[in-house]
Amino acid sequence: MDHRKKKKDYIKEALLCIFILSIATGVGYLFQYIKFPDTNIVIVYLLAVLLTARYTKGFIFGLTASIIATFCFNYFFTIPYYTLSVDNPSYIVTFIIMTFIAFFTSTLTSRVMLHALQAKEKEAETRALYTLTNRLTDAQSMKSIAEIAVETISEYMNCQAACLLFNEEGMPEGSFIQQVERGRQVRRETDEPEELKHRFSGLRTDFLIGGEFYDWPIYGQEDLLGLIRIPGNRGASITGIQMRLLHSMIENVGIAMDRLHSSMERIRDRELIVQERYRSNLLRAISHDLRTPLSGIMGTSEVLMNMTDKKDSRYSMMEGIYMDADWLHSLVENILSLTRLRDGKVPLHKELEAVEEVIGDVLQHMEKHKPQIEIKAVIPDELLLVPMDARLISQVLVNLLDNAVKHTKGTEEISIEVVKDNNDNTVKFYISDRGEGIKEKDLPNIFEMFYTSKEKHADARQGIGLGLSICEAIVKAHGGTIQGGNRIDGKGAIFTFALPLSDDRKEDGNV
Amino acid sequence: MYNETILVVEDDIPIKNFICYTLNAGGYKTMESGTGQGALSMLITESIDIMLLDLGLPDIDGMEVIKKVRQWSEMPIIVISARDQDKEKALALDTGADDYLTKPFSATELMARLRVAIRHFYKMNIKNQQTVFQVGSLCMDLEKHAVTLENKEIHVTPMEYNLLSLFMKNMGKVLTTHYILKEVWGANYGTDTQALRALMAGLRRKIEKNPAKPRYIITEIGVGYRMTDE
Repeated sequence: MDHRKKKKDYIKEALLCIFILSIATGVGYLFQYIKFPDTNIVIVYLLAVLLTARYTKGFIFGLTASIIATFCFNYFFTIPYYTLSVDNPSYIVTFIIMTFIAFFTSTLTSRVMLHALQAKEKEAETRALYTLTNRLTDAQSMKSIAEIAVETISEYMNCQAACLLFNEEGMPEGSFIQQVERGRQVRRETDEPEELKHRFSGLRTDFLIGGEFYDWPIYGQEDLLGLIRIPGNRGASITGIQMRLLHSMIENVGIAMDRLHSSMERIRDRELIVQERYRSNLLRAISHDLRTPLSGIMGTSEVLMNMTDKKDSRYSMMEGIYMDADWLHSLVENILSLTRLRDGKVPLHKELEAVEEVIGDVLQHMEKHKPQIEIKAVIPDELLLVPMDARLISQVLVNLLDNAVKHTKGTEEISIEVVKDNNDNTVKFYISDRGEGIKEKDLPNIFEMFYTSKEKHADARQGIGLGLSICEAIVKAHGGTIQGGNRIDGKGAIFTFALPLSDDRKEDGNV
Repeated sequence: MYNETILVVEDDIPIKNFICYTLNAGGYKTMESGTGQGALSMLITESIDIMLLDLGLPDIDGMEVIKKVRQWSEMPIIVISARDQDKEKALALDTGADDYLTKPFSATELMARLRVAIRHFYKMNIKNQQTVFQVGSLCMDLEKHAVTLENKEIHVTPMEYNLLSLFMKNMGKVLTTHYILKEVWGANYGTDTQALRALMAGLRRKIEKNPAKPRYIITEIGVGYRMTDE
């Protein structure tokens, strides 16, 4: 179709060229009739050449016209008339100069014309880009960016362009938007998205030639954000300038998508911070609201106990109140530790702490709560500084020691030992007892949340199975390991946990 | 037996009752306030010797109360905190509080802290001329420049000596890391808590039988250290 149109254009321009030259010849005859000098006729021919160059495309017609004009002058107006020969040799000079002038003027005119055309195209290009970027700045979602891109590109390329977005996992979405006609867009299903994704991952060229569409990738700063799809027949006939414009348009779309991404990310971050603040406020409220009444209960029952004779039956009731409050309090502490860890999203507040000081603190705590229990402690002579959240590690030690106390009777030994392991650059904590040990069938589940042994203790409160799972969560958040089992050197249980000596920040970010 | 008047600033009524009962049973006179503003006006109008101050008051921040009181009075202030935020305790101590109690605390603990605070307050007023300190079997003679443990002289480095004498002079009182660094390392002190830990570990290995179960200098995790006074 294009080809035929071009041919038609050629014929039209050729006819125009002949027409202008004929008029010039006619005017020449008129001049000759009223006895104007020859030079005027030459000028008329030059004008004809100029007009031809102005109103035809390219250089060919201008050049042809300049030669034909010279021949016409020669044929019609020099003696002998109606031949191409001349009597007066000075005309030769006229011919040559005339040809040159015609030549140059036609070339210059054609060039000016070409520049004007290019400028016009450039302007259209700039305007298209400007419209696109202008509209993209207002876009509030990926969908609206895609719609704008499709509309603008369709308009400029004069085709039914489409846009396929990629989701956050880098996979093509299930459907894409296509412009059907001016102001009307439809959603179509994506064929074989995996296949498409796969083909793009190995893309070396600018675009991908597919069945129905030619696909141009939209790249963001990091990854592929989507595709601009131009129908196959239009894609095949794309010109260099159009290609260039299409590229700039796609680039702009990519930038707009990137900008939207980062602003959405900012909003998400801000929401996360707000959530975090809510959470810490909630934690503070819980700690205050639960601990304050518990302290009141503990204090009051203690005072009442002191006022009562130990043999009085009311004494043991008050003691019961005190013990229950104490137990609830430790539960609150544990839940607080757990919520503080929560998926490890809050980075641990790690500082270099002296192991002996943490152990000293824990033993002091145990002494206060279980004054009748003797705990053996062995630490290395060397000062060990380990990066940790001291509060949380104390909680681990308290939980493990509480467990040991719960499972031992009276004088059965409980001990805590710390050893530096140079092999894997860790500090190992051993908490062992000479109690009843762990039942074989319970062993695989001890760290599971809410797991409690089916065997009930007559004298111990049934826990809710939080203690050990909290220990595990805390140790893991420190990049360490924890194991529990029975002792091989006789009866009793032993728990071991290791903390890395060097603070690996990278690892920190992942937990 | 005592005649000190203690102002209990606490908004939780059961805890306030428990504290007041314990103090009265121990022979102290008590006054009560549930707000910081109320406490400040009582401190001006009444004759009060010691203040027990809850940090989480409904009206003003406990820290503000400490700052205001310290403008005119050196009275012992013991802070009560339900929060496990060590930074706040340390801040309260650095602001001018003398000691702290973390909820829940026992009557025994309360009375012990109070005794230390009172003893300290009077000692401070006698313009500390004491040169020989004794706690358990650990003895320090500032004039002779000697430290003995179970009557045997032990050798300490000059830094350890300075550290120990600081604790001896502040027996029973909790000293924040910040304060110790300033006192031992001097005015241009850094924030090198690691150096303090190392120094403390060295000293403990000389004076404690088992550094993991210290008898003399106890660690207050996240806050500082305290030398026992009995």
